[in-house]
Amino acid sequence: MIAVIAKLGVSLLSILALAWLAKLMNLGGDLRIRDEDHARALAQEAVFGFVATDMVIDRAGMGALLKDAQGRQMLLRRHGAAFVGRLLDRRLEARLDQNFLTIGTGEKTFGSITLNLGDAAQYWAAGLRHVSA
Amino acid sequence: MTIPNLPNPIDYAVPGFILLIIIEMIWAKRRAPEKYEPKDTLTSLAFGMGSTVAGLFVASGVIAVSLWAYDFRLMTIPFTWWAWIICFFIDDLAYYAFHRSAHRVRWFWASHVNHHSSQHYNLSTALRQTWTGFFAISFIFRVPLLFLGFHPAMVAFIGAVNLIYQFWIHTEAIDRFPRWFEAVMNTPSHHRVHHATNPRYLDRNYAGVFIIWDRMFGTFTQEVYDEPIRYGIVKQLGTFNLLWSVFHEWVGIAQDVWSAPWRHKLGYIWRQPGWTHDGSRETSDTIRERWQEEQAWKSLTSSSSAADPVAAQPQAG
Repeated sequence: MIAVIAKLGVSLLSILALAWLAKLMNLGGDLRIRDEDHARALAQEAVFGFVATDMVIDRAGMGALLKDAQGRQMLLRRHGAAFVGRLLDRRLEARLDQNFLTIGTGEKTFGSITLNLGDAAQYWAAGLRHVSA
Repeated sequence: MTIPNLPNPIDYAVPGFILLIIIEMIWAKRRAPEKYEPKDTLTSLAFGMGSTVAGLFVASGVIAVSLWAYDFRLMTIPFTWWAWIICFFIDDLAYYAFHRSAHRVRWFWASHVNHHSSQHYNLSTALRQTWTGFFAISFIFRVPLLFLGFHPAMVAFIGAVNLIYQFWIHTEAIDRFPRWFEAVMNTPSHHRVHHATNPRYLDRNYAGVFIIWDRMFGTFTQEVYDEPIRYGIVKQLGTFNLLWSVFHEWVGIAQDVWSAPWRHKLGYIWRQPGWTHDGSRETSDTIRERWQEEQAWKSLTSSSSAADPVAAQPQAG
């Protein structure tokens, strides 16, 4: 029993050390959405067949809102050294504060993100009302 | 028959795993820092440790089932060199059957999805092992070996060796091996395909050690160079929350079974991941079909534009 506990203790220390090493080496980098083509590609990766016809990208490139020809709207946000996307539905929660639009998908574990959308924030916030209607 | 006292090979492999992860991190630092992500690495390794702990809890149950099945064996296969080799091959075929089921039956997928839920593909991903394999009764795929007459100790040892082999193929640091090796063995290139979410790669390359099973049963796909691979699952988790990562698909099954009409409830357990009785979600098959239609359309339009470039131009008005 002591041997098993000792083994698990060593395992725990090892995994913490490896994760710390990855952080120390600055692995993961600082991924941002570069431009519209990048956002379009990320959206297509998130949902196959989603071809963005309109979009707005966060000023810092941390996320984006996109629409397709079918009227679907997608939220893209950074997740570690990758991006994740969700089609928005009536569960979405949105809050506008001047240029900042905070969006939650209703998925607790997915969380919410605040996007700096500049002058476009109001327009996109209004568009989200159609999703939640 | 003398039963040898076999060690657990994974105990001896763990230091090698750690060393290789460090080497791969150094490679990533120099070549592609985005291939590792500290939180993702921590989650994957915590999966591995949790899987070991879960294994300790269920070990006595697995041993009891194994000895029970062995009691009904067709013959008694001794611990000789040829038995080890035959056992290794049959076990790898059993692994293929398990792995294919793990992607095509949602009950098994709920356990196996843990291994696929990272958006990264590196050696730490290899250790992203399930906590709920025993609950999912995944071990039944190895029971035929026991019925055949291979001793449970031999089957357990071989299973561990199979798992160790699969560690090193979880990397983007290795491109491809010589053709003869790629033809027979599962390699990083073949297994990258397996972890990909690109429509062309979904549910392909289930092999453990020998890729020959995929070639034999029509599930093999070659990695192509002109399309970057995206890793993870069709609906990415978007969280590093360990407990949610472990149990999310089980929660999903419970919710779907609860809310489905009576006649469809079982479908949410035994049908393929993504299946719904009203067709409101997509399976890997439907995604691939749409992708194939898109490819066919692209090739049709490109060939027609090559034949008649003027006609293929978009017309105004």
